[in-house]
Amino acid sequence: MFYMSIFLQYMSQYIKTKLQYRADLFVEFLSDLMFQGVNLIFILVVFGHTQFLNGWTRDEIIFIYGFFLVPFALFASFFNIWDFNERYIVRGEMDRVLTRPVHSLFQIVLERMELESLLGGITGLIIMGYAASRLHLTFHWYDVILFVLFVLGGTFVYAGIFISLASISFWSDARSSIMPMMYNIGNYGRYPVDIYNRVIRYILTWVLPFAFVGVYPAAYFLRKTEWYTYSFLTPVMGVVCFTLSLLLWNAGVKRYRGAGN
Amino acid sequence: MYAIEVEKLRKEFKSYSSRSGLAGAFRDLFTRNYKIIRAVDDISFTVKQGEMVGYIGENGAGKSTTIKMLTGILTPTSGRVVVNGMNPHKERERFVQTIGVVFGQRSQLWWDIAVQESFRLLKKVYRVSDQDYNEHMDHVIETLDIGPLLDKPVRKLSLGQRMRCELAAALIHNPPLLFLDEPTIGLDVLVKLKIRQFLKEINEKYNTTILLTTHDMTDIEALCERVIMLDEGKIIYDGSLQHLKQNWGEGRQIHFQFRDMVSKEELTSLVHVTWEQGEDRYNWIAHVRTNDMAHVIGQVVSSYELKDIHIREVSTEEIIRNIYEEGIHHG
Repeated sequence: MFYMSIFLQYMSQYIKTKLQYRADLFVEFLSDLMFQGVNLIFILVVFGHTQFLNGWTRDEIIFIYGFFLVPFALFASFFNIWDFNERYIVRGEMDRVLTRPVHSLFQIVLERMELESLLGGITGLIIMGYAASRLHLTFHWYDVILFVLFVLGGTFVYAGIFISLASISFWSDARSSIMPMMYNIGNYGRYPVDIYNRVIRYILTWVLPFAFVGVYPAAYFLRKTEWYTYSFLTPVMGVVCFTLSLLLWNAGVKRYRGAGN
Repeated sequence: MYAIEVEKLRKEFKSYSSRSGLAGAFRDLFTRNYKIIRAVDDISFTVKQGEMVGYIGENGAGKSTTIKMLTGILTPTSGRVVVNGMNPHKERERFVQTIGVVFGQRSQLWWDIAVQESFRLLKKVYRVSDQDYNEHMDHVIETLDIGPLLDKPVRKLSLGQRMRCELAAALIHNPPLLFLDEPTIGLDVLVKLKIRQFLKEINEKYNTTILLTTHDMTDIEALCERVIMLDEGKIIYDGSLQHLKQNWGEGRQIHFQFRDMVSKEELTSLVHVTWEQGEDRYNWIAHVRTNDMAHVIGQVVSSYELKDIHIREVSTEEIIRNIYEEGIHHG
């Protein structure tokens, strides 16, 4: 309850600040939109040559892409802490965070949130709607609940992976270039994993479970019964990933050495 | 009841020294020369509620490391820390509710938003009720004279203005214990005076314990009755400032300006004290004990013609410098 009220307080502050820089907000919104446009065009180009990709139709892949955008937008708004090492460890901002009576990760999430990324989620919903209408998909009332669960699961999978990576900064001083690579790997989760080699599929499922952000949960709504087990594992994976990353983070905070001044 | 209890506190850092050259860099890839650096070396002390303590030492003596352990930022390697009856690192979130921290070189406030918005966020974070906030902060804002700054964003404030706001921000939850790490660094005299006066006031009003690190000895003289002096991670002095001055700063420097040139030998044979040459051989400084002052001046005046004399007390700064240069010995 306390955390919720802190969250709202930070959020209103964030919006106030953002509204002061209108031009900036507009540019950000536009570049976001363009980025998603390029991704979509890529999919369309690939399917300009073939109608099927290992048994998946163009519209199904577009649907998966649309689904992926929703948890990704949530992740990008709240857990986008790729610059954690630079900002909090090297510059010593972590000292300040640790002198406040709120969990350190929660504070950082609040300080780094970028609510404008949520717009990507809306784009995602529109793309899904478009694909669903072409595929003549039908939904039940409880699909809404499942959708929310799967989206949250995917978000927490993503968040867990990036929090774990950020936690590494507590052990190693070196600035890592892992983060950009991770973003690339994350994109693999948007495509049906059975188009990949077995090893890659295994990695995307159990090691860096990005497949749980895109294909697996989306497969449920596409009524691909052979993937259902994985689909329903999504929330579980989210909880597991996030819990593990929290444990790693807490252990890291104990190791924190601070920056000299 | 102690505000701070520290027993055999130690903090070690593992650092590796890199070899020189490209070949050295390759060797570093495989084997590294680790070195354990003891930043804080088995220190023990206690601070009573309501005390104002100056924590001093050269750069790298371990001051900041100690403060960071006391505030729960760093985990000690070994030893016992109890602050406000809690273990700072174990119960961090509950513990920090009872302390205020100001790091002079780092901002606690949000850069982009107005000062009062920062205060409002902190008020929420520390769960301060509206009533407590108004009662307490109105007074703080008035004393620190920051009323006109409240609606400006922090990035537009001068250093002195920002520092006053930082101090106010650290006091939003009216903590019984305040850590100040170089709070007056880079500030002009007027702001320094205002901050000192304010610290004294809250100490008297709320019996707030204050632990202060600074390089500015005038801060310590103005505020602290007690100093803890640190060198290479060890406490080399813990006691009253008065005592420190009496033991190491006893005596005066008498500056004589002679009408004619004199030599050191002549002066030493006249009165046997330490003579030090001033700008030239007309100017000499005698280091004497307070009791011998009259005698030395009498002797010199009766033997030489003088243009000027003045007497100076040894400043705390010089005492500290002497201790660091010569090590501690009871004089």
